[in-house]
Amino acid sequence: MSDQMTTGKLIRRALAESPVLAEGLRLTLVMAMVGQAITIVTPVVFQQIIDEEILNPAGIDIGDVIVRAAVAFAALIVGIVVGRAALLRLVRTSSAGLSDLRTMTFNHLLRQSVLHVQAERRGNLVSRVTSDVTTLQEFMEWGGVSLVVASSQVLLATAVMFYYEWRLALISLVGVTLYLYLMRWFQKILRRNYDSVRVEVGKSLGVLSESISAIPVVRAYGVETETKERVADALESRFQREYKTNWFGNSLFSSAEVFAGAMTTAIVVGGVVIGVSQGMTAGELIAFFFLTNLLIEPLQIVVETLEFSQSAASGLRRVLEVLDSEVEIEDPDNPVDLPDSGLAVRFDGVGFSYPTGGNVLTDVRVEIKEGSRVAVVGETGSGKTTFAKLLVRLLDPTEGVIEVGGVRLDRVPLAQLRSRVAFVPQEGFLFDDTIANNVRYGRLDATDAEIFTAFHELDLGDWLDALPGGLETMVGERGAGMSAGERQLVALVRAWIGSPDLLVLDEATSAVDPSLDVALRHAMDRLIKGRTSVTIAHRLATAEAADDILVFERGYVVEQGPHRHLIERGGVYADLYADWSAGTKTV
Amino acid sequence: MVEVVRCPVMRSGELTPWSVLRDGARLIARFVRRHPIAFVIAVSGAALYASAIIAASRVIGWVTDTVVVPVLDGNESYSGLLLPAAVAILAVAILKAVGIVVRRTGAGYLQLRTRQDLRNDLLDHQLSLKMSWFDKQSIGDLLAVADADVDQGTGVLGPLPYASGVILLLIGSFVMITLIDPWIGLGAFIGLIIVIAIDIRGSWITYKMWEEVQEARGRVASVAHESFDGALTVKSLGREEYVSKRFGRESDQLRDRLIDVNSTWTTYQTVIRALPQAISIVLIVVGALRIDAGLLTPGDLVTVAYLLALLAFPVQLIGFVLWDLAGSQAGWRRIEAIFEAEDFISYGDREATPEVGPAPVLTDRVHFTYDGSEPVFEGLSFDLRAGVTVAVVGPTASGKSTLSLLLARLWDPATGDIRIDGRSLRSFAASELPREVGYVAQDAFLFDDTVAGNIALGGGFSQHEIVQAASLAGAHEFIMELPAKYETVLGERGTTLSGGQRQRIALARALIRKPRLLILDDATSAVDPSVEAAILRSLKSAALPSTIVVVAYRPASIRLADEVVYVDEKRVVAHGTHHELLASTPGYARLVQAYEEDARRMEQEAS
Repeated sequence: MSDQMTTGKLIRRALAESPVLAEGLRLTLVMAMVGQAITIVTPVVFQQIIDEEILNPAGIDIGDVIVRAAVAFAALIVGIVVGRAALLRLVRTSSAGLSDLRTMTFNHLLRQSVLHVQAERRGNLVSRVTSDVTTLQEFMEWGGVSLVVASSQVLLATAVMFYYEWRLALISLVGVTLYLYLMRWFQKILRRNYDSVRVEVGKSLGVLSESISAIPVVRAYGVETETKERVADALESRFQREYKTNWFGNSLFSSAEVFAGAMTTAIVVGGVVIGVSQGMTAGELIAFFFLTNLLIEPLQIVVETLEFSQSAASGLRRVLEVLDSEVEIEDPDNPVDLPDSGLAVRFDGVGFSYPTGGNVLTDVRVEIKEGSRVAVVGETGSGKTTFAKLLVRLLDPTEGVIEVGGVRLDRVPLAQLRSRVAFVPQEGFLFDDTIANNVRYGRLDATDAEIFTAFHELDLGDWLDALPGGLETMVGERGAGMSAGERQLVALVRAWIGSPDLLVLDEATSAVDPSLDVALRHAMDRLIKGRTSVTIAHRLATAEAADDILVFERGYVVEQGPHRHLIERGGVYADLYADWSAGTKTV
Repeated sequence: MVEVVRCPVMRSGELTPWSVLRDGARLIARFVRRHPIAFVIAVSGAALYASAIIAASRVIGWVTDTVVVPVLDGNESYSGLLLPAAVAILAVAILKAVGIVVRRTGAGYLQLRTRQDLRNDLLDHQLSLKMSWFDKQSIGDLLAVADADVDQGTGVLGPLPYASGVILLLIGSFVMITLIDPWIGLGAFIGLIIVIAIDIRGSWITYKMWEEVQEARGRVASVAHESFDGALTVKSLGREEYVSKRFGRESDQLRDRLIDVNSTWTTYQTVIRALPQAISIVLIVVGALRIDAGLLTPGDLVTVAYLLALLAFPVQLIGFVLWDLAGSQAGWRRIEAIFEAEDFISYGDREATPEVGPAPVLTDRVHFTYDGSEPVFEGLSFDLRAGVTVAVVGPTASGKSTLSLLLARLWDPATGDIRIDGRSLRSFAASELPREVGYVAQDAFLFDDTVAGNIALGGGFSQHEIVQAASLAGAHEFIMELPAKYETVLGERGTTLSGGQRQRIALARALIRKPRLLILDDATSAVDPSVEAAILRSLKSAALPSTIVVVAYRPASIRLADEVVYVDEKRVVAHGTHHELLASTPGYARLVQAYEEDARRMEQEAS
């Protein structure tokens, strides 16, 4: 979408999103220009001393020279102070503004379902709040400052030139304009080049990071050579692209030098020709040499920052794309509170499909009584997990209505929904923190004693006691210090500590050993009496014990009823059950 | 809270600007040694550039004395004077431009090639290190080293040739100014020394602050990573705000560090920009005195002043170089920490004999401990006949996955040995053992490649073999329903598969290699029981020449096994058929009959 956005529009959008960026920007710019204006003093003093002292037939008045120099010195110091103050202001506002922008982008991303629906894209998204914002930051602090300072220098130098000799100034101005046009044209080509560089960089980093993450797999399959080759190929094509673009950029940069030479030549020739007839002084023409230099130098900086501004613009574009993407799950405008009683569930003609693909769920009509235990069964890919995510509003249905406790789910304030409805996903994700703090994600104010009790309530006291540090045991990055089953145990306690009225479990104990699993289930049965629970079952024993069973097949609910009824019916469930119990029998 | 495990960076206390210069020079020498020609070209370009700048000032002075002053002040005719002046000015400009292109192209080549080399070398090195090393690293950090740290570590190579050009330029300028007028030369020399001293000091102070910025940046990234990885958990618990605040705190930390470092840097930069101008002002006073005394021409003064004006910009860059130098070393130290890890896997020279058929496996008094935790195994021994299918059973966290990793030699036992067909796993040459041993983990890693590519994994298998393996793994049917069948791209930019589908592809990846020993570490946990049963049955009935070790809880998997190895309390408690163990080992019976027992009890309660 925003690919068509011009850089100007991008900057305005950024300022609108993060107003801190614009705070006192005008004053800052004025100060920066004042600071820069002082650079003009040196050539002017030079001109005056040459014309009025050095080339004065009456001789040099040293006292006068010193006075002029002293004035220039004073001006220079004022310039330093003001210029520095301006830069400091810019540094402060840009850092603060970009920190806001980063946090905002993070918050926005966190509310996107893409994070849990397409797990593969996560790595990409992290760079929205890291490298993309960093590029912006670097641009604001290095490139941006140079640009501001440089352009004010160009303006002032031009003004002084006009004051000395308007025809010569005109020559310079025409030259600069031509040059800038040339630059804009170059810029377009350069942008295409940088885009293709970025693609190559992205590809090579993708392959490289994939290979590093996959080192255990690479070793297990003995494909070290193939992996190295794959990475080497990607890096080589990245090198080719980068090198070409680098070469192109160099030629562009050096063209500034040729241009500077041409301008100086034009000024010497024009100055001498015009000067003789118009009575221009030697000092004025010499001042022009210096002024031309003051004009060229900032243009070089502009060319240098082109690369910067290009990548900053792309970074900003990607960040704004995130901010522009819709938040899928929004807090309702007219919230309705859940009833204080237990929670019943109703799905009415609910369908769900991803924008990219076919239907995941079609016309689901389900009633779950409050306080009942419901099991959900079906083959992989039949829509069970999507059903659970819809039920806890991690996704919104594309069709139909879901009600919990008689209230439309999308009308319930999210904070209330999360505190009353708990969802335990299969993965058992743990943060790199202690067991206690991981459980606290479920209820921020839970005390150690309460957490301890919760473990014991779920019959996990023995497991907890066996840990070297008890509740204070660190779980490692992504829970790497724990086995898959142990991670699930902690995740379960985490959900339980919030004492939810509706508990949704998505194969939440699939990696736990059978005897512990059975013990857990009994503990859960005891605890959740009176609460509603929906369990996606990986073991049909769970279904057997449930009040009601939902059988999913290819996105449809094909059967519903208690275990006995479904067995008698001899349908999908009966087949699954036969298969499972044949597998369970140990004798 | 999140701890960023960055490789230790030498504390600034031990560093001085001179040690940075010295170590920086060593680092540069190391990089340059690999691509010396590019470096020589770049430096030649820089020298050309420096000479052109000095020539330019000389030309301007000459034009002032021979054209500008005589014509505008002495009313001489300009005819015949303009052409040589124009040609001279343009010529030095073109010389400068050529110098720039040569320098930057050479420097770019040097920098880009070095980055490419380092990334390739890093991967090579990591691939040869033991899992015990890999396990201690955070993947995020390893990726950061291969990406950002390589960029940072080689950051100094870009401006380096320019900097050497600037040094030539400074020397040349000094020589020329001294030839024009020794007193002005001395003044300019002192002035430039002051500028450079301030530059070095500023760079030094900001560099130390920069390290803190990098640390803060790392923390921001790791909070973002963790939060996004755990997004489902965060959202289902409604903890977005909590996580946001955590992120906001880190982001604000970073902001404050950035403000600190940039404020300091800005102050130094302002001074460094203003100083050459201050020197020019002093210079003109001195110059006026010397002209008054008849010791200097106006053209000479213009030459010197013009040269100083041209120097103002390059001198600023000395600071950049020093800064880059210090920053490069910080990046390099993290790269070096990986290169210095010498926990290499030791390989023997044995070649695999994959065609022999199923292999007998012997695990002999294996002791194993992960760093800093309780021992996992203390004297684990068992013996498997060739072609047997064995289930490894044990309670949660009894070390079943560790056993699989040991059997596949992803880890080595501390003491004791594992032998396949009588040969120690350690005696195999690199990449040979995987030709005999197939290992499938619970979390299936898929590459950003096609289905076929993911199964073959570069092994040069025919389409027929790929389909056969996929069928055996129960994956063929769903693959045929994918948009491009076997050519569907998976992974980062491709189709998203369910956990069970991913596992079946990973299984096919192992089966296609027809391993003599196949290890399935809960490798079908996300596959439906009926599908799993079918896969296991077909594995057993297929003419697959494998000894199969299955880590699983499902009684179905256990029943399909010929034997059971029951692991608990850091050793093998029992080894035999399922029925033998049910009778002999109460712990085993309790574990595997939990569901049955439970079902029986429920029935009793019901009746």
